[in-house]
Amino acid sequence: MRNIIDLKGSILSLTVLSLLSDQIEDTKQAIARKIDQAPDFFIGVPVVLDPQVPLMDPTFLALLVEYLRQRKMIPIGIRTEDDVMIEQAEYAGLAIFPLEKVKKHPKKAVEPKTEMAQPGLKTALLVKSSVRSGQQVVAKDRDVIIMGSINPGAEVVADGHVHVFGKVMGKVFAGASGETTAKIFAKQLAPELLCIAGLYQLSEDIDPAYQTGFVEVSLQDNKLVFNTGLLG
Amino acid sequence: MSRVIVVTSGKGGVGKTTTSASISAGLALKGFKVAVIDFDVGLRNLDLIMGCERRVVYDFVNVVQGEASLNQALIRDKRIKNLYILAASQTRDKDALTLEGVGKVIDDLKTDGFDFIICDSPAGIEKGAQLALYFADEAIVVTNPEVSSVRDSDRILGILQAKSKRAESGDEGIVEHLVLTRYNPKRVETGEMLSVEDVVDLLNIPLLGVIPESEQVLNASNSGEPVILDSESDAAQAYIDVVDRFLGEEKAHRFLTAEKKGLFKKLFGK
Repeated sequence: MRNIIDLKGSILSLTVLSLLSDQIEDTKQAIARKIDQAPDFFIGVPVVLDPQVPLMDPTFLALLVEYLRQRKMIPIGIRTEDDVMIEQAEYAGLAIFPLEKVKKHPKKAVEPKTEMAQPGLKTALLVKSSVRSGQQVVAKDRDVIIMGSINPGAEVVADGHVHVFGKVMGKVFAGASGETTAKIFAKQLAPELLCIAGLYQLSEDIDPAYQTGFVEVSLQDNKLVFNTGLLG
Repeated sequence: MSRVIVVTSGKGGVGKTTTSASISAGLALKGFKVAVIDFDVGLRNLDLIMGCERRVVYDFVNVVQGEASLNQALIRDKRIKNLYILAASQTRDKDALTLEGVGKVIDDLKTDGFDFIICDSPAGIEKGAQLALYFADEAIVVTNPEVSSVRDSDRILGILQAKSKRAESGDEGIVEHLVLTRYNPKRVETGEMLSVEDVVDLLNIPLLGVIPESEQVLNASNSGEPVILDSESDAAQAYIDVVDRFLGEEKAHRFLTAEKKGLFKKLFGK
């Protein structure tokens, strides 16, 4: 018997629109400027919104979605874990994507689309405090620098390297999109879990010798390799 | 300027209500006008610890829902001038509170000239706890020297940074203070309890005080008297220090013993 449908998970590359301002007019103008540079390029492009600042204005999302549609882009979802934003997104008909990686499938069929080159500098995500239990920090397409500790129950995810000035006691994912050269640097390691490019190790499998002092973790031959000699 | 202070912990049974009662009594004894609000709707305890359970006619929920005025519901403490209690409702649940309603009560208390408004949070991180912390200017995080309590406090600190009015409006964040309760130096020495250094090390917020484990706390609760009034006991002394430090006085920490290292790691490193 032939299958009528076949439901499969698939990882698609989507354009992410990072929102760095909570002012709708500023955002609209910035989008207009971007589109004017290459008007044809944006037509029909599916977009996932990624608010980097809390959006206080309850109409922001609805207005932005409306505007993107006017400009012939197709907003399909939003990446957020904030309850207020999730509620707004539901009204605006947007799919919710969790912060760490795309788990839910977008509701509409989406053409595979390669990520457009990001102009300008993309520096590491800088977190100036500790990451507390229950908090999650995600650095998409870049490194992350944590100036405090990663407390138990906290998660830090980066597509690039992860640098921690304090102690790692939570979970750390470097090379979250498969970058095997990604590394983890930490002043002290006592993690719940370490993961580089999908290969993970639990704390109990880590030699206690690596759990004190500065350590570099990298992926070599499908194994996590710990180096404490980096600083001499 | 009124200061709104939430007493919170994440975990239950660590001493939030005891701490709320003693700190509000301590502040009122210093001559400040203090209101203490029980946010634990459905499981009200503050009125018992304050010894006014028989005088509750109207409660917080009645005020929030407009069934009674604030003045009708505020219970004046019989022992201490300037101390008022707003009891929780025992028959309703936390859905009876609304953000607007709570905001109005707090604004009205500010207008009435209260110097301190102490919000005694329920346990957990759900609606009740989030309402209690939403309007706060400062937070007193109550923690016991054990791993699960510290972990939950860490979680609530994350929520304070993300879900409060101050965080949402982009103002300066909530000022955080740590109170470590049920501290037993002997058990710390034998490694059964986390040391004060371990806790401070992880939570990384300023320590307001350490309250030693004391039978007097239970006795005081049962007799409906904030433990701070039993000035002979260690716990009362410790709470008096907490209040003084809260008001900006420099005081050396008491009821501690020598620092102990490595335990934290032993418990977390697994």
